Amino acid sequence: MVPVKSTLRNALVGDGAVASTFRTYFLALVACVLTTAIAAPLSKHLDLANIVMLFLLNVVLVAVRLGRGPAVMASFLSVALFDFFFVPPQLSFAVHDVQYLLTFAVMLTVALITGQLTAGLKRQAELASNKERRTRALYEMARELAGALTIAQVAEISRRFLRDAVDAEATLLVPDRAGQLKPAAPGNGDQPQHIAPQMATLAYENTACTDLDAPRPVGYFPLKAPTRVRGVMAVASPNKDLSLLHEHHELLETVASLVAIAIERLHYVEVANSAQLQMVSERLRSSILSAVSHDLRTPLTALVGLADSLSIAKPPLPAQHRGTAEAIRDQAMRLSGLVGNLLDMARLNAGEVKLRKEWQPLEEVIGSSLKLLEKNLADHPVAVHLPTELPLLEYDAVLIERVFCNLLENAAKYSPPGSPVEISARRLDTAVEIAVCDQGPGIPAGQSPDIFGMFVRGARESAKPGVGLGLAICRAIIEGHGGSISAGNRVEGGARFVFTLPAGNPPTVEAEEPVPGTRHG
Amino acid sequence: MVEVAPKVVVVEDERQIRRFVRTALEDEGCQVYEAETGAQALVEAGARKPDLVILDLGLPDRDGIAVIRDLRSWSDVPVLILSARSNEDDKIGALDAGADDYLTKPFGVGELLARTRALLRRKLRAGDTTTPVVTFGGIRVDLSRRTVHRNDEPVHLTPIEYRLLGVLLSNAGRVLTHRQLLKEVWGPSYVESNHYPRIYVAHLREKLEIDPARPQHILTETGVGYRFQP
Repeated sequence: MVPVKSTLRNALVGDGAVASTFRTYFLALVACVLTTAIAAPLSKHLDLANIVMLFLLNVVLVAVRLGRGPAVMASFLSVALFDFFFVPPQLSFAVHDVQYLLTFAVMLTVALITGQLTAGLKRQAELASNKERRTRALYEMARELAGALTIAQVAEISRRFLRDAVDAEATLLVPDRAGQLKPAAPGNGDQPQHIAPQMATLAYENTACTDLDAPRPVGYFPLKAPTRVRGVMAVASPNKDLSLLHEHHELLETVASLVAIAIERLHYVEVANSAQLQMVSERLRSSILSAVSHDLRTPLTALVGLADSLSIAKPPLPAQHRGTAEAIRDQAMRLSGLVGNLLDMARLNAGEVKLRKEWQPLEEVIGSSLKLLEKNLADHPVAVHLPTELPLLEYDAVLIERVFCNLLENAAKYSPPGSPVEISARRLDTAVEIAVCDQGPGIPAGQSPDIFGMFVRGARESAKPGVGLGLAICRAIIEGHGGSISAGNRVEGGARFVFTLPAGNPPTVEAEEPVPGTRHG
Repeated sequence: MVEVAPKVVVVEDERQIRRFVRTALEDEGCQVYEAETGAQALVEAGARKPDLVILDLGLPDRDGIAVIRDLRSWSDVPVLILSARSNEDDKIGALDAGADDYLTKPFGVGELLARTRALLRRKLRAGDTTTPVVTFGGIRVDLSRRTVHRNDEPVHLTPIEYRLLGVLLSNAGRVLTHRQLLKEVWGPSYVESNHYPRIYVAHLREKLEIDPARPQHILTETGVGYRFQP
């Protein structure tokens, strides 16, 4: 890994560093001087044409080793040195024979062209190998990203890569729960100094941009993943100029998209994990609920039954003991009702109750509720006023029966014996409104909305039994049906609970065809 | 004439519940056999040839509904199931599988005995040829002449209403699920039209009950179905 990175850096930063440029020109100069020194003693034995060849060889070598610029310099220098030291008159730039001017021209042209070609070839080769190294480094980074388990790891991998590759400082900004972009840096949660939030937000809205006002230019790249922008990568240039951001724009964009895909992958891993977790916890909750329900109900059933068998035992118990047995039975029944309410509320809260909605007439559930509460309502005449043409309603009969039972139980509990209870209904535009009224003391002023909260009771220290779950259950059930429930007082005194059920589109009923020839009635 | 004590198998895994059920039934003059598991229940039902099986749906070893199905494959003994409230699906499943009635826990001894008596009566009656005339609460239904009278006034019923009444009467004391009623009265192609029995039951109550909003004979078993009680 390490050698790849250091050579990569050289490859990417290129041969443009000022110090090394100066050195290459100097080396080219030395090479030219050296060529002159070698050629000088040989000039007596060699033709001038061969001396030219030595200089051309020098230019080619300079081009190969030191690049294009030094080669150009070496070309001119070679012509000058050749003229000065070898063309008569020697040690002078003057030329006796005019035809040497042609030699100079050809020599310069050939030197320049070979220098150019050679340096170009070398550069091509370098570029190719740079490209290959860069691809390999990117591949390495992609592989590391694929193994990353947290966003912090992704941030660290991309930071390290860009630091090693282009000496730039990269920061990943990802939105938190509130949608605010926050750095995903490992360890420190502080916003690095050079990040401009407005720029980051702009980039998050999918526009790459560059901040030129910062001490060092900072490029902001949106992390575009297949489904959406997942965050922003801010890259601060190592120096004041923009060249890095321009030169390596493509590389930075590639890194940004790799990071984006890694973050998206992590996002979906998280989604899948939390779905799994939720499923497990839901299953646990529902199994706890049913276990609790079974475990509480079994002893209650035994208690009710055993107390009952005492009170009808043969031979009969003394009246006093029978009364005790009946009281035990009644208390156990009440306890069972409370347990039922608590479990219902837990189920409703857990969202575990699936409504078994069916189209049915309203009067049916009213009838069954009244039958269930026969005992409680023994002291209260109940009047039911339903319009004859009430449509079928779609509701869960068990749950709506619960609503009626809770409301009627309250009415019976809080109104004086003998006072009537009234159930009425009327058709509204898109719903049916059902009211349950009593003639008790009504609801204490200012309490009507929160009376539907859990464990809220009208009169706090009331002697009436109850824990204040009944109305909360009613609200949960009615809201589950898409209706609403409210409480108020009647003008003539007494509480009035009103709830609505959506009317919807009741199914049609095929009209019955009269069958001729059969006798009925 | 010495009456033979009716035999009842009680299937329940909780000892205390079995205990009071047994006491109550023995006081009624029944002979009681106990079983704790579904497997035991089937063995007892096969060996004792009971007149009634009282079955808790929450058995430790197997699903109560499966026990009923098994039992129904070779016996038509009446089955009374015990089940917790808010388990309507279980109740419907058990009734559709062939159970006759259910009791919701917790239940009193009075209720238990009333249901037991009704089912035992059904069992006894099943033998004799049904009387063609049924009367209840001022209503007289003559099944042979297909007439219905209320306080001696003729009542006009549509064919479907009459068929529904007939099914309810012939299953007096039993709970009939919506599905069973649909199948019996409307035919198998209507089993998804659950609103039909509800509408026609409302019609019947209108014509036969004194206070249709508080029916005394055609009773609603909320979320499950209907029961006719003479």
